[in-house]
Amino acid sequence: MLQGVLTFILITICVASSFSKPGDYSLTEESRLYTKISDVELATAQGRFRLSEVYGQSPVMIAFIFTRCSGICSPFLLRLNENIKALSSKINFRVLVVSFDSADSLADMVALAQRYGLTANSQWLFATTRQINELNTSVGFHPVWDSTKRQYDHEALLVGVNENGYIVKKLTGIREPRDLLVMIKEINNDFVLSYPLPRKNMLFSCFTYNPATGEKKASLGLVVLLLPALITLLLLFWFSLKKQEANRAS
Amino acid sequence: MKAHEFVLALFLVSAIAIAGLFYYFFLSSRQAADGGGVSNPTKKRFFFFTALAVVMIILLLVTIPKSPYFLFTGENPSKVVYVAAKQYSFTLSSSAIDPQNPVSTEAIELPAGQPVEFRVTSLDVNHGFGIYNERAELVTQTQAMPGYVNRLRWEFTEPGTYNILCLEFCGAAHSFMRTTFTVK
Amino acid sequence: MTTLSLKKITSAWIITILALFVLAIAFGITMRFNQGANINLDPAKFYSLLTTHGVTMIGIWAVAGMVAVNYLLARYVPVSTSLNVFAFILTVVGVVMLWVTTFIGHFHAAWTFLYPLPFYVAWEKWATPVFLLGLGVLGIGWFVWAVGMMLQILKKYSLRHTFAWQHLTTKHDVAVETPPFILITTVSLIGIIVCLLAAVVLLVLFFAEYFSSGSFVNDPLLMKNLTYFFGHTLANESLYLGLATLYELMPEVSGRPKFKTTWYVALGWNCTMVFVLTAFFHHLYMDFVQPVGFQMIGQLASYFASLPAAAVTAFSVMVLVFKNPIKWSLTNILFFLGVVGWLIGGVGALIDSTVSNNIFLHNTLWVPAHFHTYNAMGNVLFSLAFFNWAANEFVGNQNETKSYSLKIVLLLIGGFGFVLMFYFAGAYSVPRRYSVYPQEFTSAALLASAGAWFACIYLVVILWMFFDIVKKCFKVFSPSY
Repeated sequence: MLQGVLTFILITICVASSFSKPGDYSLTEESRLYTKISDVELATAQGRFRLSEVYGQSPVMIAFIFTRCSGICSPFLLRLNENIKALSSKINFRVLVVSFDSADSLADMVALAQRYGLTANSQWLFATTRQINELNTSVGFHPVWDSTKRQYDHEALLVGVNENGYIVKKLTGIREPRDLLVMIKEINNDFVLSYPLPRKNMLFSCFTYNPATGEKKASLGLVVLLLPALITLLLLFWFSLKKQEANRAS
Repeated sequence: MKAHEFVLALFLVSAIAIAGLFYYFFLSSRQAADGGGVSNPTKKRFFFFTALAVVMIILLLVTIPKSPYFLFTGENPSKVVYVAAKQYSFTLSSSAIDPQNPVSTEAIELPAGQPVEFRVTSLDVNHGFGIYNERAELVTQTQAMPGYVNRLRWEFTEPGTYNILCLEFCGAAHSFMRTTFTVK
Repeated sequence: MTTLSLKKITSAWIITILALFVLAIAFGITMRFNQGANINLDPAKFYSLLTTHGVTMIGIWAVAGMVAVNYLLARYVPVSTSLNVFAFILTVVGVVMLWVTTFIGHFHAAWTFLYPLPFYVAWEKWATPVFLLGLGVLGIGWFVWAVGMMLQILKKYSLRHTFAWQHLTTKHDVAVETPPFILITTVSLIGIIVCLLAAVVLLVLFFAEYFSSGSFVNDPLLMKNLTYFFGHTLANESLYLGLATLYELMPEVSGRPKFKTTWYVALGWNCTMVFVLTAFFHHLYMDFVQPVGFQMIGQLASYFASLPAAAVTAFSVMVLVFKNPIKWSLTNILFFLGVVGWLIGGVGALIDSTVSNNIFLHNTLWVPAHFHTYNAMGNVLFSLAFFNWAANEFVGNQNETKSYSLKIVLLLIGGFGFVLMFYFAGAYSVPRRYSVYPQEFTSAALLASAGAWFACIYLVVILWMFFDIVKKCFKVFSPSY
């Protein structure tokens, strides 16, 4: 009996721990938050704008890439595009893809948009800017030119800017849709009271946050929390059923 | 009247009222004869219940919107302060804190009259993050729970030195765990 | 039926509980004197005392309610003395284990042992598992006992009748009347069973991590929820057990007709049963990671759990007493004062359970202020009333001639003086669970000393009653009884 219980607990632990995995988190994500982004001039296929004209219309997520990139930029944009396609269309935001390589021309960026089939998509904007250093500094982005590889050494960076031009959230690396959703909520000035930090295998977490609905979704931990009341209820009903049977028999 | 004093006054008045009422009930029983008692108790109970329910619903409607979860939500804080609590000290920094190497970078100075945000976590056990003003009054607080970052937004109206005290029992030196920041 | 063996085990319980109570009060007074800078304890020693005081008090008053209910339940259904004895033995073993960990092992993670504090060992290494095991031993004893009582009730009353649902549908002339005592006992026992199961889950998770040697960790949020699900609910249900005793005994000793179950009594207690299980969310108001919906449920449940309590129980006690000739004795005076203490503590609790107040009251001395009010001046008085009644019952004389007014006056001065010092300090933001107070809290130490002196007066009365009651309880064990 005891052996059975112990085996059951061990199996539950193994199964439960396989569900939780550490998330991505980088300290650089926390820099320059709540500061205003530099209002640089952008060159796009639709004409020249100031950045403030873009975020002034709707909150914006800015992806930093360069077209010659042989590393993370392609998968980064690909995943971003896929993740955004999967979102509900009602969410208010735009995506600005900006090149941080002064060698990139507007034609290169237009070609990039075509490659991803986003030329006609008004939610997406592809741009170059002459003031890239200013923009980089204002978001805390520091790509380093590697002259032997003839590539920039850089991280995949997505910066969330609200309608007032404040940087409210940054994401580094290729991220899951749920991280993207937190950013969308934040750039729309929805305050998320708390966020989890990555950690070791965690057993029975209470909630996973679902920013699409703004709610925390119950996970296994909540079932654990309900267990005591459920067991008591079952105990009560089981006993009263048994009693009814006994009454009928007599 | 300040909130602290208001709740104390509210409590004392209610306590004295309850004690007075029950003393009156007690006295009434001393000279009573059979056949006394409350007339039509069910009706009175119904009124009592309804009145109490109405008062409670009003209190709920008034107080719930004042919950900390709904404060300063649509605003842009002018500054973020990162807080990492660890037995028995607080690390305060204006940039994100590396859990492996928590260091307070500089003395924290916050602007008065503008919302600021604290991002509070713990690197070991549960701690509390209570902000006290110069008169040793608790202004606001949140908990520091390992594995989570709680975001506390507040707008300080008075300049001065503020103390942070641990408000969740965290071990033997709990009452000595503290730090300060200034508001200008 | 009340058998001699039931009297004997009840006597043993009363003597043990009162002895532990006296010691735990003494620990409390020591702590208050330390906070008042009258004595100077090592912080670790202070927190060992805090842990012992908390775990002992919460334990003895939960179990005191069960002892009373078990004794009175014998009037309605057959009760098992062996389960009672089993629970007694496990309680003694559990308490010894807990005290060994705190006094010899220097364990000091407080009675709430909030995860992951017990794993940050600042005491003897063995103390953590032994403390958790000690709690487990207590839990098993009480769980088996509570389930046993519950099953005995369900053997006689159907599920519908135990919860008095028949009183909800038909206002007049129900075929089977559920005595209020049975209804409230059922509601409380179910709460006890639920919170003990929460403790079991909590302990299993603790031990799972303990033996996993670091391969996984628990979710601190889940562990905190479980801790207060267990702790808060246990404290509340202890009070309700005390109220069950009040419903059964107070009219009887007052020479008044018994309380009847009516539709509002049935409705009130059924609502309480549900509300009380979610009220514990108010312990996590300052954990912003908890979803806001839960926080709102916490405040709603805390408010509405108090509504039936006030409108049903307090109002019924008022109706019982108001302008009715009452045979006042120590027993029903204690019940009556217990209601007053419970209500006053309830007001303090309601104020604290309002989120917008909680932001400046949470974990200040306001918290011990309100729970000491409804425990020391509420639940304890309900149980003392029962103890006094039972002791008189054992010697076969309910007509006490001795004057009790001095006892009552001292009890009121000591008890309310003691808690009032907590309220003042709490309103002025003094943190709870501080071994000494930082200098900026200028009056905190003075309030602590004053509180300690008031508690000394309270202790004198308790000792006085202890000797009166225990003397009578010992008679049950004499061969000539």
